[in-house]
Parts: sequence; C-alpha cells; structure tokens
Amino acid sequence: MTAVEQGSVLDQATIERKQARRENWRLLRRKPGFIVGGVVVGFWVGCAILYTRITPKDPFTYTNPEGKVGPNGTNWFGTDKIGRDIFSRVLAGARDVLLVAPPAALLGVAVGSLFGMTMGYFRGKVDLVISRLIEAVLSLPLILVGLLVLTLSDTSELLKAMTFGSRRILVIYVVALLFTPIVARTVRAAVIAERDLDYVTSARLRGESSTFIMTREIFPNITAPIIVELTVRIGYAIFTVATLSFLGVGLPRPSPDWGLAISDGRDLLQAGDWWLVTFPALAIATLVIGVNLIADSIQSVYDR
Amino acid sequence: MPRYILKRLALSLVTLWLLVTIVFVMVTLLPSDIARNILGNTAPEASVIAFREEFGLTDPWLVRYGRLMKSLVTFDFGTSWSTKRPVGGMIWGPLYRSSKLAGLALLITTPISIGAGLIAARFRDTKLDRGIVLVGLATASIPDFVTGALLAVIFGVKLKWFQSVATIPEGTSALGQLDYLFLPALAMAIVYFGYIARMMRSGTIRSLESDYTRTATMKGLTGSQVLRRHALRNSLAPTLTVISVQIGFLFGGIVGVEVVYNYPGLSQVILNAVKDLDLPVLQIAVTIIGGIYMLTTLLADIVIAWLNPRARLELGQ
Repeated sequence: MTAVEQGSVLDQATIERKQARRENWRLLRRKPGFIVGGVVVGFWVGCAILYTRITPKDPFTYTNPEGKVGPNGTNWFGTDKIGRDIFSRVLAGARDVLLVAPPAALLGVAVGSLFGMTMGYFRGKVDLVISRLIEAVLSLPLILVGLLVLTLSDTSELLKAMTFGSRRILVIYVVALLFTPIVARTVRAAVIAERDLDYVTSARLRGESSTFIMTREIFPNITAPIIVELTVRIGYAIFTVATLSFLGVGLPRPSPDWGLAISDGRDLLQAGDWWLVTFPALAIATLVIGVNLIADSIQSVYDR
Repeated sequence: MPRYILKRLALSLVTLWLLVTIVFVMVTLLPSDIARNILGNTAPEASVIAFREEFGLTDPWLVRYGRLMKSLVTFDFGTSWSTKRPVGGMIWGPLYRSSKLAGLALLITTPISIGAGLIAARFRDTKLDRGIVLVGLATASIPDFVTGALLAVIFGVKLKWFQSVATIPEGTSALGQLDYLFLPALAMAIVYFGYIARMMRSGTIRSLESDYTRTATMKGLTGSQVLRRHALRNSLAPTLTVISVQIGFLFGGIVGVEVVYNYPGLSQVILNAVKDLDLPVLQIAVTIIGGIYMLTTLLADIVIAWLNPRARLELGQ
C-alpha cells in the first residue's frame, strides 16, 4: 500500500467518524429527556457560576434576627437554625457540589480507563490479581469505603500536602478513588471485546508498539462506553458527594452544601420544621435526575 | 454443579480475606494515633499509653496481622477498642434490626418492581412504559437519604401517617413496629425499584423478541399467556442477579436511610467504628457485609442455573 492510499483511507475514516458524531448529536438533541435534563442541569450550573451574585440574600450571614422562621414573603424557603436564608443557601449550594462531583468523575474515569485498558490488553497474572482486588473492594458499599478513607485521611500529612489543605480536593480524590475499580472493570471488558479483532491483530503484525495499539487503535473504538460511563459517573459522583456530606465527612461547615443542610435540618424535623430538609432535598433530587436524564439519552444514542 | 459451588465458595473466601486485609492495611499503616483518637485530646498521656498496651497497638504490624487472621478463623473478633465490650455482642443486635428493615424493604419492592418491569415490557414504547422507565430512572438516581428525608417530611411530619423516627420503644408489638419501620423501608424500596424494574423490563423485552416467544405466539397463545408461560421464567434471571446484588448492598449500602430515621441498625455501628477507627468492630462489620454480598450473589447464580438449563451447562464447564 502506498503512502497516498493509506492517507486517503485514514481521511475517510476521519470523515466517517465526524459524520457519526454529527448524527449522534442530531439524535441527542431530539430526545426530550436530554432537553429536560439539559435545562435542569443548566439551571444549577448557572447558579454555581453566578453564586452569591444571584442569591437574594447573603447565604452565609444571619439575615433574620429571629433565627428560624418558616417560608414567608421575605425568606421564600424560610431560614435555618441560625437565621440564614435557605433560598439563598440552596442556590449557592450548587457551586460546592458541581465543583467537586464532575472533576471527581472525570478523574475516576481517567484513572479507571488507564487501569482497565492495561488489564484488558495485557491480561495475564497482573490482570488476575487486580481483578480480584477490584472484586473485593466492590463487595463493600462505596459509601463505607469513602467514609473510611475520608476519616483516615484526616491524619495523613502526605495527603494534606497532596490536597493543598483543601477539603474539596480531598473529596475529589476520594470519590475518584471509589470509582476507579468500577470504571476499570467496564473498560477492561470493552478492551477484551476489541483486542482479538482483526484490526488489532494487523496492527500487532505491523509491529506497532503496545502503547500505540492501546491509545491509537483500541481507544478510539471504546470511546462510546467511556463517554457513557463518564456521564453516568457524574450522576453517581453527585450522589456520593451529597451522601458523604450528609454523613459529616464531606465538605465542612459553613458550606451551603445540600447534604450538610439536610443533616443539620434532620434533628428539627421532629418539631415539624419541614422546610429545613425539604428544599435542599429537592435540589439534590432535581440535579441528579437531570444528570441521569442526560446520561440515559447519551447511552440510548450510543447503544442504538 | 457441586464442584462449581465449592469453587465459588473458595473464591469468596479469598475475596473476604483480601477485604479484611485491605481494611487492616488502611487502618494500620496510615499514620493515625488510634488511642489518642478514641480517648480524646484531653486524656492524660499515661492513659493513652495504657490503652495502647491493653490492645497491643504497640506490637509490630505483623503480630497484629497474625492476631487478626486468627480471629478471622475462630470468628472471635475480641473486644471493641472504644466500648471495650465483646464485638460479637455489639454486632448481632444491629444486624438483626438491619435485616428486619432490609427484609421489609425487599418485601415491598420486589413484587412491585417486577410487576412494573413486566408491564413496561408488555406495553413497550407506550406512554405507560415511558412513565415507568422515567420513574425508575428518577427513583434509582436520588440518594437514599434524600428519598428518606422527603418521605419523612410528607408522611411523617405533614400527614402524620407514620413515625418519622425509627427508634422503636421497648416492647412494641410487631404490628406497632411497622408504624416505625414503614417509612425507612419504603425509602429503601423506592431506591431499589428503579434497578429491579429496569432489569426486569429489559430482560422481558429480550425474551419477548426471541424465537421461542415467536413460536408460542404463532401457536396462538395470547400476549399474557406468552408472558406468563414463556417470557417470565427467562427474564427473571438477570432480575435475580440484580436483586441479589441489592440485598448485599441493603446492609450498609444505605447508611443514609438508617441515619435519617435514627434507626439503630448496622449503619450506626459502622459509622461509630469508622469515627473511632475501632478496627475489631470494623473488621467484623466488613466481613459480615462482604460475606452477605458474596453469599447472595452465589445463591442467585445457583437459582438462575436451576431456572435455566442453558446456564446450568455453562456453570458446569
């Protein structure tokens, strides 16, 4: 095969890929789930970006001298235990979770893909051992592992240096760590399905290096499951971050984080103060449903 | 078949050993002063030293690991570091209570989700199907503690139908306990509805599209007859796998629900053990949760093999 012919074949492949991408995007835009999810997530992303610029009151100061009051004309969602405006805190709470969850998902998918690709491509003893380890970790609930790691990391100087003293970065690391085994397992399965196909064999016969085959031959063919995994993981990351905050090991006070707010309001539920819990809970619910609607639409387009 | 089960059991043991070792490595090798952590910052140095002596925290890690392995074999995990009570006594009560809650949740969720999945598949691509899929997606993606909190607000605080806190007074009758347990169980049931219904739907659709279903239809069976006699059996297999995985996660997986309702289950024990880095309690909790997970998945595989002769063949190999 001459160089020119090879070039044209490659060009054609690029064009085809571009066409497929455009077609996917066209299908995606028509999905009602994608549109609804996009609007909901867009709203929260807007809140996260504008932050205190759009909150009617300062989410961190005690605007109501009476302390806790129910929803009324000035405090639409009421105020919390110490008189802070819940409406403002719910809007501002989008920032913390959106600064932590998507990066955590991205990091987890990146590291997990790396592991999964190496395991699936080389197989052998290393794959066997790591697979067993993954199996063991996955038999424990994620939240339990997260709790343990976050509690332990308080004492580690090394971790403190790695996170620059920021709790947010620590939570990102931990959630990414929790997702790595799951992603690795998914990507490993995808690679194993590809590795014995003709194009990989021919690349091997051409004498290409393992790195080249993994990154340039196999990787472009498994981007679909990786993208699906990423969107699904973002939903789970929000889930996990909120739960960890709720359990008191996530983001610290006075963060307006929703999980934290539910944890604080729970004690007052008994007395009939429903607004402290309801609004942050609805915020979490809408955000995760929005993200999952998007993830679901992307998945159905790719699985077509 | 027996050989397969034995092999799986052996593998589960290896996984359990790995699990316990991972927790040990995390707690032991990371630099944390367990004695100081449990006794608090104000405790005098002498009592901290005495504490370390008492629980052998100053021994080399290999000795401590050996002790752990011994306790794993004899299933005697010793005494808790923070409460100084035997670990066994601390764990069985909460485990029983968690099982009760999880059992109730499964009782609610299994028939409803399987039914919803079947209906969705039977009326595929209609409004009904879309509705079920959407509800499933929503319920499965909302964190358990959020669902629990919202249910507590609506049915506990506003409507006052059930108790919004699940601390059951001593001597409550079984029916009276339901008043306390219903909301947390419902919250768990709602979380799992999505997973199970989704699996059931896709499993049923797959079997409805298969050749034997077409044959049955051509034989002149009605839609519901085909569903009952032919599709159901086959679509149950993937659903069972999902249910079994969820059972494993029902323990400790939904820490949030137990915390929201203040339920004295396994989650409380685990939360406290993690906070204190109470290794003996943590180890037995991890062993039990991991063990339940592995046993239920194994059990599901066996039932699937029993349901489907083809899977039995695959397992035999």
